Amino acid sequence: MLETEELKKVFKGKPAVDGVNLYMDEGESVGLLGPNGAGKSTTISMISSLIKPTSGDVKLKGQSVLKDPGIIRNVLGVVPQEIALYEELTAYENLKFFGRIYGLKGKELDLKIQEVLEIVGLRDRQKDIVKTYSGGMQRRINMAAAMLHEPELLIMDEPTVGIDPQSRTHILDTVRHLNQEKGLTVLYTSHYMEEVERLCDRVYIMDHGQVIASGTKDELKSILSGEETILIDLDRPYPALVTDLQSHEGIRQALETTKGLKLIVPKGSKLLGSIFQIAERHQAQILNVNVQVPTLEDVFLHLTGRKLRD
Amino acid sequence: MISVFLLQWQRLRRAPILVLSFLGLTILFVSVLAGFGGPNSQFTIYTYGDPTLEEENRDKWLDRLNEEGNLTFHWVEESEAVEAVTSRSAGMALKLMNDDYQILIAVQDPSSVMIENYVYQVFSEELRLQEVASHVNADEFYSNLDKVMSDPTMKVTTESLSGEESSYAFDERLHFLFGMTLFFSIYTMMYSLMNVAEEKRVGTWDRLIVSPLYKWQVYTGHLLYSFLIGMIQIVVAFLFFQVVFGFDLGERYGTLLLVIGCFAFAIVSLGMLVMGLVKRSQQMQAVIPILATAMAMLGGAYWPIEVVSNEIMLALSKGMPIYYGLDALKGAAIYNMGMPELLQPISIMLLFGVVCMGIGINLMERRA
Ligand SMILES: Nc1ncnc2c1ncn2[C@@H]1O[C@H](COP(=O)(O)OP(=O)(O)O)[C@@H](O)[C@H]1O
Ligand SMILES: [Mg+2]
Repeated sequence: MLETEELKKVFKGKPAVDGVNLYMDEGESVGLLGPNGAGKSTTISMISSLIKPTSGDVKLKGQSVLKDPGIIRNVLGVVPQEIALYEELTAYENLKFFGRIYGLKGKELDLKIQEVLEIVGLRDRQKDIVKTYSGGMQRRINMAAAMLHEPELLIMDEPTVGIDPQSRTHILDTVRHLNQEKGLTVLYTSHYMEEVERLCDRVYIMDHGQVIASGTKDELKSILSGEETILIDLDRPYPALVTDLQSHEGIRQALETTKGLKLIVPKGSKLLGSIFQIAERHQAQILNVNVQVPTLEDVFLHLTGRKLRD
Repeated sequence: MISVFLLQWQRLRRAPILVLSFLGLTILFVSVLAGFGGPNSQFTIYTYGDPTLEEENRDKWLDRLNEEGNLTFHWVEESEAVEAVTSRSAGMALKLMNDDYQILIAVQDPSSVMIENYVYQVFSEELRLQEVASHVNADEFYSNLDKVMSDPTMKVTTESLSGEESSYAFDERLHFLFGMTLFFSIYTMMYSLMNVAEEKRVGTWDRLIVSPLYKWQVYTGHLLYSFLIGMIQIVVAFLFFQVVFGFDLGERYGTLLLVIGCFAFAIVSLGMLVMGLVKRSQQMQAVIPILATAMAMLGGAYWPIEVVSNEIMLALSKGMPIYYGLDALKGAAIYNMGMPELLQPISIMLLFGVVCMGIGINLMERRA
């Protein structure tokens, strides 16, 4: 349905997006995962014809969007990263306006507004002024405004940043519902791997403007098929211990977590003994040890040596 | 385009304070500057005589001078007049002679210029009439003149004659009305145009751009709104002072409207240029008052450009759209000029608008 070809954007000599190739089939739910500054938003802006790529192209059903941006505008719904609403107006007035600019009017528009409000669960608050909404409710209206014209492709740019768990769950459920029941094609951008893991069939992992890995969730995790994750809970942080473990030749990655440590080690490497010894040397008290199957977060850690969020 | 245009009105309804306060300020400033009393607003000028002045001439001059209802020439002793002027309780005093006059002045302000002009006109006209009269029988001449002046069939002449005279007194009040109204309308139009910068900041602009709307439709919707709200503010202020305070705006309403429209276009375009030049909407917020005040000062909205003698200031005033706006408004309201006579200021404003708009949109699009 949609693909990008060597998409590139340079801001003042610095590449923000550096040769990104991705594709989406109809009805798919695709995740774009990467830390802040990876170039996700810039990629989306180019796909939606908001900014022109420095080079490369975007193709919708084989046609170049760069040559004729008009072809994507009715097909596409974009939920921007920031809350792009007129906050002194009511939710209803906002939706009415955004529906109008897509050529909807009259009864049809009214029906459509009630429908999307139902989807995001804010029908009863529609006459309230957006400014008075909580951050989570504003995000839900932000999303509703992109769905009025029944887009075939919905692109969401970090739609759950900084909101309460309830609204977050609601948004995630909504996206899944739209994708699975209504067959909407979804491109979901996030730096929360749990969200992408839960919602998406296929994932692109971006870092420094480039796609560093892509595939289905299982394919990506199989990058780590020869490895396992060891979680160790400690009584308090031991930075020196982490450094020591990192330099241990058998350990691929060592990282501090909130509770203690996370290690990526080759599968079956029987390293626990030496790990305990090193911990002993630092007089660290081990509270719990857990050996896990890898997550997408671990894939990112494996590929970059960094966490998704710092 | 229509949706974008209508949306701005909807937003105004929710946050009308800014625009209403500019209209309020217009009314406040014009009321204060042009004197509260409306048509009863009075200037009293202390008038005294040269020792040689004959009583008959004194009465004649006072009668002639006091024909203008808004100016009262009040007869006092010389000492009292001089005292009033030196202590600045009066701005000026008038000394009458048999066929000449002198003006004693404390501060040169717009009203003193108007009064000087008026006195000059009364004297030169009267002396001219006397000149003519001296060649014919004086009594007969004056009685004929009186008859002509009061003859209903000659009403048109009478009216135009008195209209010309009163223009000096009205001129000043209209000047303040025009000057202040245009000045505050600059604020309204530019702040309204800031909705564009605001949309870009909040991100709703991006929503509009990825929608099927064309970019020019979005711009036009905003520009049309700013333009119209500026025009409405000016028209409301004019109507207010005409209806409530009885200001005489003449009869050329169509021409006035056209001039207002051209001025609003020039200012909205200038707003686009400013927006193209500044980087953030906060900067725009800072620039607007500076720009509006500077333009109003240089363009003659605060004091009539006629009292300015500095060459540089005069040259600068020619670059201000408000100068041409005032010029054309006065032309239409006071001197009853129509389109052909006002073609020059009108076309300069239009040209100014087209140039600013072109550069402004270009700058803005280049940045995007
Ligand atoms: N308009 C812009 N001008 C200059 N640099 C930009 C602009 N937009 C984004 N960038 C830079 O491009 C990089 C990628 O940004 P972005 O696409 O927003 O990342 P993400 O959405 O993944 O957090 C960042 O380093 C950011 O600073
Ligand atoms: Mg982003």
